[in-house]
Amino acid sequence: MIENLLSWTQYLPALSKGVGVALSMTGIVIVLGYLLGLILAYASVSKLQVIKIVALVIVEVGRGVPLLVLLYIVYQGLPQLQLTPTAFASAVIAFTWSAGAYSAEVIRTSIDAVPNGQSEAAIAVGMNRLDSFRFIIAPQAIRVGIPPLMNIAIQFFQFTSLAYVITVPEIMQAAYFQATVTFDYFSVFLAAAFLYAVITIPATMLVSRLERHLAKHL
Amino acid sequence: MLGVVGYIALGIGATLLITASAFTIGGILAIPLALAQRSRFAILRLLVRGVVNLVRAVPPLVWLFLVFFGFAELGLRMSPLMAAIATFSFIAMSYFAEIYRAGLAALSRGQEEASAALGLSTVDSYRFIVVPQVFRVVGPMMASYGIGLLKDSALASTIGVVELTFRAASQAQQTGQGLTIFAIVGIIYLLLSLPLAIVSRQVDSRLRARFSVA
Amino acid sequence: MNHPVNNTEESAPMFLRASGITKKYKEHRAVDNVTLEIDQGEVVSIIGPSGAGKSTFLRCINFLEMPTEGTVSIGKESVAVRTDSRLPSRAELAAIRRSVGMVFQSFNLFPHLTALRNISLAQERVLGRSGEEADEKSYQLLKRVGLDKKATAYPGQCSGGQQQRIAIARALALDPLVMLFDEPTSALDPEVGAEVLAVMRELADEGMTAIVVTHEMSFARDVSDRMVVMVDGSVVEEGDPHAIMSAPSHERTRQFLSAVVGR
Repeated sequence: MIENLLSWTQYLPALSKGVGVALSMTGIVIVLGYLLGLILAYASVSKLQVIKIVALVIVEVGRGVPLLVLLYIVYQGLPQLQLTPTAFASAVIAFTWSAGAYSAEVIRTSIDAVPNGQSEAAIAVGMNRLDSFRFIIAPQAIRVGIPPLMNIAIQFFQFTSLAYVITVPEIMQAAYFQATVTFDYFSVFLAAAFLYAVITIPATMLVSRLERHLAKHL
Repeated sequence: MLGVVGYIALGIGATLLITASAFTIGGILAIPLALAQRSRFAILRLLVRGVVNLVRAVPPLVWLFLVFFGFAELGLRMSPLMAAIATFSFIAMSYFAEIYRAGLAALSRGQEEASAALGLSTVDSYRFIVVPQVFRVVGPMMASYGIGLLKDSALASTIGVVELTFRAASQAQQTGQGLTIFAIVGIIYLLLSLPLAIVSRQVDSRLRARFSVA
Repeated sequence: MNHPVNNTEESAPMFLRASGITKKYKEHRAVDNVTLEIDQGEVVSIIGPSGAGKSTFLRCINFLEMPTEGTVSIGKESVAVRTDSRLPSRAELAAIRRSVGMVFQSFNLFPHLTALRNISLAQERVLGRSGEEADEKSYQLLKRVGLDKKATAYPGQCSGGQQQRIAIARALALDPLVMLFDEPTSALDPEVGAEVLAVMRELADEGMTAIVVTHEMSFARDVSDRMVVMVDGSVVEEGDPHAIMSAPSHERTRQFLSAVVGR
């Protein structure tokens, strides 16, 4: 009975190759996504209307269009322009777009969350705008923004599962392959679910602990 | 091209059917879960928390495959549409439970104390005091999650539900005009989410960040 | 902890009697075997330093806080709680709460309902009054606290003092036998608190039975018939307000009064 209940674990080794791909994709997407988010957040408050509008459109599309559709736009769309990125690169581009859009929103609201009086006080003691941002605003905004930014990282680890549809060899691709070979669909996908949960749950707990810790000093 | 767009747009029905069904079913099933999280019994609270966290710890695509392919292997065969609705209802349930819980937590303790002091029954207290106030907090968050569901419904294409994304993918393959076709589909999704987006804009952005789903 | 002031054996059945009320949090006794009786038309104020258990005791009377031990009787209703036995039933709680009106420090008005609806809701749901009857009564009560013009306003559109007066009207609407006031002016500016105290004074003159936890010493002295001093969860002194304030017999009362008057 116990053996039966645990039979799904036999698929863990085969799927764990996908974990490496998923994690490294997440790492790349998050670094690029935060950078893009920073640029988009800055551009969305630009005095130049053109830049502002372009930034807002990128953010709204990145957040409002299903990630799967973004993935298809890149993977099946770019060839129409005679560009043929690999599956992995396509996934990175699409996910970075979306992660950048979400990060931009978090960064913007975190900066907004710092009370106006703070920059007024900084200016009143004679700081210039850059110093006021660097020493007063940014440190406070970071306390607000870090937990949601880390949640975005966890989310995008889960989203890497979508790359399966364009044949990136991540966890779901490995699972689907195993399933079609063994016809043991339930156990294989249970093993996949386990792998995602076993990474996501501790990560989420860590973030909420960090969130409580940071909130203490607000 | 117009014919292609028309063909794709026919998928709107299935997309909305999945979204609306999951929203309604999940929204109802979440009520007992949210209430259980306020139970006096720690075991019940822990159990519900565990389920809610587990559902969210696994990507929707994995749940979808588990339900569609996995359950079929165990003998529970569903049509792709049924499997999609069942999966997304189940996922929505856990998110809504969390949203309701946050809404209840935002309600000041004094409100329930005042209803108790006035002698209102538990049912009356929920009906007249708790639910109307919680709904104001929770309404925009639910709308925001509704957009998430709309976007998640695109995953149904991977198990063969003929909705927007499925139709677009098949057309893109036939015509080789992937960029144009998926750009159009993207715009259709944005337009569909517009009514919900207007409602959700009223929500505090920090709460939105916490509950946002892509 | 027993004080000699009470001679319950010889008096008629009291209007409200809370006896042997104890509230323990883990090993800490927030309220330690407190007994209080009050007669119809009497106003009793409870004073004492913060953390003395005054509010906790008050909240035990209508079971917003479940006492660890003790008995509460109001009119014909009587509910006993013992550490090792059953909790009060729903019906018992409902009966007690119907007989007791409560006014909170933070008002706790229902923000999504108009002033009038705040007052009429429980009349309809708890007492089964008709809509018109409840509205009429609510309007009269608003008039009585001087806020009939605010009938259709939402709590958010009213000042703190107005909100508290509406909350008083809400509590009075069920025709309670006893009113409990839990530091009703603590959340208010002094001049705004004064308008609330004025309303309470009028109600007292009209014969309201009330227990008032307060830091307003002049109100406690002038309006209440009896004063109870609580320190560290126990009653240390009880009697005529003027007598206690001019010549406190207990050392802790003296300390407390000099601290309050010194402010």
